[in-house]
Formats: sequence, structure tokens, C-alpha cells
Amino acid sequence: MKHTDLNQGTLRAYLDSQLDPGQLSAVEDHLQGCAACQQEVLVLNTHASCAREGLSRLPELPQGDNVAIAWAEFQRKREDAMDAEQGHWGLWQKLSLAGGGLAAVALVVALTVAPVRAWAETFLAIFRVEHFTVLELNPDSFKKNGLQNDQMLNQTVGRMLSDEVTVTQKPQKPQLVADAAAASKLAGFPVQLLSSETPAALVFESGVAVQMKLDQDRLQSILDEAGRSDLQIPSSVDGARIAVRVPPGIMAFYGHCGNMPSQLVGSSPDGDHQAHIVVGAGGKPTRSHEETDSTCMTLMELPSPIVSAPAEINPAQIAQVVLQFLGMSANDAANFTQTVDWTSTLVLPTIRGKSSYEQVHINGNEGALLRPTGPGQPDHFSLIWVDDGILHALNGTGDNTTAINLASQLE
Amino acid sequence: MTAGWDETEFEAIFREHYQRVVRITRRVLRRDSEAEEICAEVFLRLYRSGPGVAAGGLVGGWLYRTASRAAIDALRAHQRRGLEEELEAGASAHSEDPAEGPLTQLLRAERIAQVRSVLAQLKVDKAQILLLRYGGLKYQEIAAAMHISAASVGTMLARAEAEFSRLYEQQQELSRKASLFETVKERR
Repeated sequence: MKHTDLNQGTLRAYLDSQLDPGQLSAVEDHLQGCAACQQEVLVLNTHASCAREGLSRLPELPQGDNVAIAWAEFQRKREDAMDAEQGHWGLWQKLSLAGGGLAAVALVVALTVAPVRAWAETFLAIFRVEHFTVLELNPDSFKKNGLQNDQMLNQTVGRMLSDEVTVTQKPQKPQLVADAAAASKLAGFPVQLLSSETPAALVFESGVAVQMKLDQDRLQSILDEAGRSDLQIPSSVDGARIAVRVPPGIMAFYGHCGNMPSQLVGSSPDGDHQAHIVVGAGGKPTRSHEETDSTCMTLMELPSPIVSAPAEINPAQIAQVVLQFLGMSANDAANFTQTVDWTSTLVLPTIRGKSSYEQVHINGNEGALLRPTGPGQPDHFSLIWVDDGILHALNGTGDNTTAINLASQLE
Repeated sequence: MTAGWDETEFEAIFREHYQRVVRITRRVLRRDSEAEEICAEVFLRLYRSGPGVAAGGLVGGWLYRTASRAAIDALRAHQRRGLEEELEAGASAHSEDPAEGPLTQLLRAERIAQVRSVLAQLKVDKAQILLLRYGGLKYQEIAAAMHISAASVGTMLARAEAEFSRLYEQQQELSRKASLFETVKERR
């Protein structure tokens, strides 16, 4: 074996007796006549001994650690986790609420819980919402990729990112306000309400700001763990600092919405997001104990959230990875990303067969009207639009004309 | 939803790999309860993901990679928050040897904390390869777990060991200086 054929890795494998017999005798022959390689082996051995000594200090398994007990314990945990999954929604379910006719609320959820928000915003690449577009996803692709209902994956995403998220402006506890004037004063923008209805409750939600540092390695591991090591997180994201600011907003409740407003007000400032999920949740599982009926409508208003990112971050490139992760082919993802201005477009993910979408206009502004198509609440709508920089989301029950008329009459 | 794990098959996988997986998490994390929790999460993730997640590779590889990754992430999070030192400092370093005196226990706890601190400072793949190698995996198994070629295991391991040695020696030097400082202070 020539000196140039012998690298550090082979010498290290030699020390660990991990070479096949042919390689082993070649290395041994070479070592006999090569002082440089002998020296290299000595250095490698010193480092290896140090690492072995260090790691041997770490505790071993206690005696009597029984696999049978662990298996029984695991079965119990799995059962609990599966039960919990019936009543809780992970990030993906929250995002897919958009498909169930609750895009805005899903967005609020995504934007109100720090780690999740940062993730969702970064990857949906919302820089400042001016336009909407709907992305229809094929549910078969999620099944294929093991993503559907994968709450564990969502938790992983949250856990992995949460360490890197710093809340620079803490959210305050939501509070009830008396009227539009008081709401406007608190929120810092002219709050508009439905002219034909009196709100049953008006809730102010403070703003929140977070910063997060992206870690390419960490993000890549999320893909790897989901079995998608074929997708590569762009190296430009590594170390990039992303700042997300969600301005203060208001939520108005009309009709009979049960205890939804009081649950929202009763939620903790750090974001017990379950309380947010019940808002307008329609036929989906909720934590609300009081029934709502078809008269219940919610109206959310807040200035567009803003995401700041370094110039080298290319949102379209990130979006392509995310879209493929969600089951799109590389070609489709590339084509779709080209049609979207990722600095100003909010992409509402919907699931094929679960919802319908229509582009509408509210007082000259473009908007999106989504409806669930499954059984449950067939008349339920979510209408989302931006007017003068303020993001609006109206959820209720009724036909398209009713929805658009209501939205057009804000004052 | 679970894309079809056969319960017998899953149980066999659990029984085959549990010890190794929990060994990895226990070595990295101070609290056994957290190590076991992460271990259970990893198996739960495998269960939810279905057999397809490890298609083209070995289930063991997926488990070791995911477990070592999750444990290192948790360790790094603790270190950032200063929690690990706090736990180590306040720990009554439970000993396998009942005859071990309190001072020996304290020293042992300090050394464990040093090793964990070094692992947390390393790049994740370096910490991962050390954990896997010194957790008893062969080069082929490490290659499968880390999605690298068997030929590059030696190189990665050598780099990780060199970095570990450098940081570990620094840690020990700092610790020596600190105890010297304490001794001088006490004498005064």
C-alpha cells in the first residue's frame, strides 16, 4: 500500500480492528516502513484513548433494567398518546385547519405559539401578507410519507426549534374590551366591526415578537427522521437570524359562541394555544364545554405579521423543500414556487377533498373563501382578506353572498 | 395512520433495540426519567411513522440516529439554560458502589458533567458518532445509522475524537485551576 493511499480514516479503522483482512495486512506492511504513519497512529490512539476514557465515565444501565417492563410501560404510554391525539391537534392539523375552513384561526394558532409560529412563518415564508394563494395538497402523499396525524413529528419540530427561539416581546394575557374605540386605542389601528351586528364579546390580544436562529443541521435532522434525507436544507439558512413580529390584534365574537371568549381571555399569556383552537372550530374537536350554534361568528383583525430575514435567505428555495416534504414532486414544487411572490403571499395549505376554495373580492381587495367539504358544518366559511395592511378573517355560517356582504360592511 | 406495523413485529423490534437505545439516552442525560421519556418518544415516533420510515435502511440505524440526536438536543438545551450544571451540582450522584464516599461521588459527578459539557459543545454529528461508537456499534452499524459510507466512519470518528480530546483537556485544565484557586483562597 502506498503512503498516499492511506488516510486518517483507514488508520483509525486499523486501530479499532475494523479493516478487512486484505486491508489489514496492507496497512501493517506499510506501517513497518513509514515513520510518519506510525506517528499518526500514535496521535490517533491518544485521542481515541482520551475519548474512550471520557465516555467510559458516563453512567451505564442500572442492573435489572428489564425490557419486559419497558415494553409494558411503552404500551401504556402509546395508548395514552393515541388517546391524547384524538383530542389535541398538532401543528400539522392546525395548519390543515385552513383546509377545514379555518385558515385564519389556524394562522393565529401558528402565529401565537412561539416555536410553532417561528417554524410556520419561516417555512410558509410570510414576510408581509398582501396576497393569498391556496395550495392544494394530496392526502395520499402524506400517508405515503407517514406525515398525516403525526403529532410526534410536530412535537419534534417544536422541540428542536424551541431551544433556538427567543421571545423578544412577551404576549400579555388577552383581555376583554368594551367597544371598537377602546379596541382601536389598545391595538393601535382603526378596528372595524360588522355594521349590522353587535359583538357579544370583543377581545384584545397583545402583540408578540420572537427571534430565532436557524440551524441547518437541526432542520436537516427533522427531514432525516421523517425518512426524507433526500431533501436538503439550503446551507444559506445556517446561523441565519429570523425575526418575527406579530402586531396586537382583536377578535370579535357575534351570536352564540358558548364560552369561547371567556376561554380565550382565560388562556395564559404564554400561549395555551388550545384556547385559540376553539375559536371557530366548527365541527372539529374542541376543548369548549359550551356548545356554539350556527349564529356564532368570529372576526379577527390584526396588522400583517412581519418576518425579517437576512438577504441571503431565499424563501422560494426553502419553500421548495417544504413542499416536497409535504408530498409534492420536485417538479411540481419548483413550478409552484415560481408562481408565488414569497415575500408577500400567504400560502394557505388545504387538503384535497377536505375543503373548497374560491378567490373573492372584498371592497376591491382580494380574498380567499374556504369551506370544508366533508360532513359536519357544510355552510361553514372562512373568509380572509387584507384591507389597508390589516389582515381580516371572518368565520361563520352562511352562503358566499352572506359572507361577502358581511365582510363588505365593516365600519 | 400507523401505516401498518404488525404488533408482533414492532414488539420484536422494541425488545431487540430497547437496551441499546436507552443506553444512549441514559449516558447523555442526567435524569433517568428524561432519558427514558426520550427513549419512549423515539419508539413512539417509529411506531407512528410506520415501517416505511426505515425503508432502505435498518430500523436499528434509524433508532440509534434518532435517539442519539434527541438526547444530544436535550443535553444542549439543558447546557444552554445552565440546567445541567445545576442538576450536576445539586445531584447526590447516586452510586453503584455503596462504599463510595461522598467526596468520591462528588468528583465522579463532576467528571460526568465535564464529559457531557464537552459532548454538548461538539457539532452534533461528532457527538453522535462518539456516542454510537462508544455505545458499542461497529463501523458498519454506525454507517447505517448516520447515513454515511462505512469508509468515512474512521475519518469522522478520528476528527470527533481529536475535537473531544482538545475540549476535554481544556475542561480538565479549567477544573484544575479552579480547585487550585479554591485551595489558595482557603489558605488565606
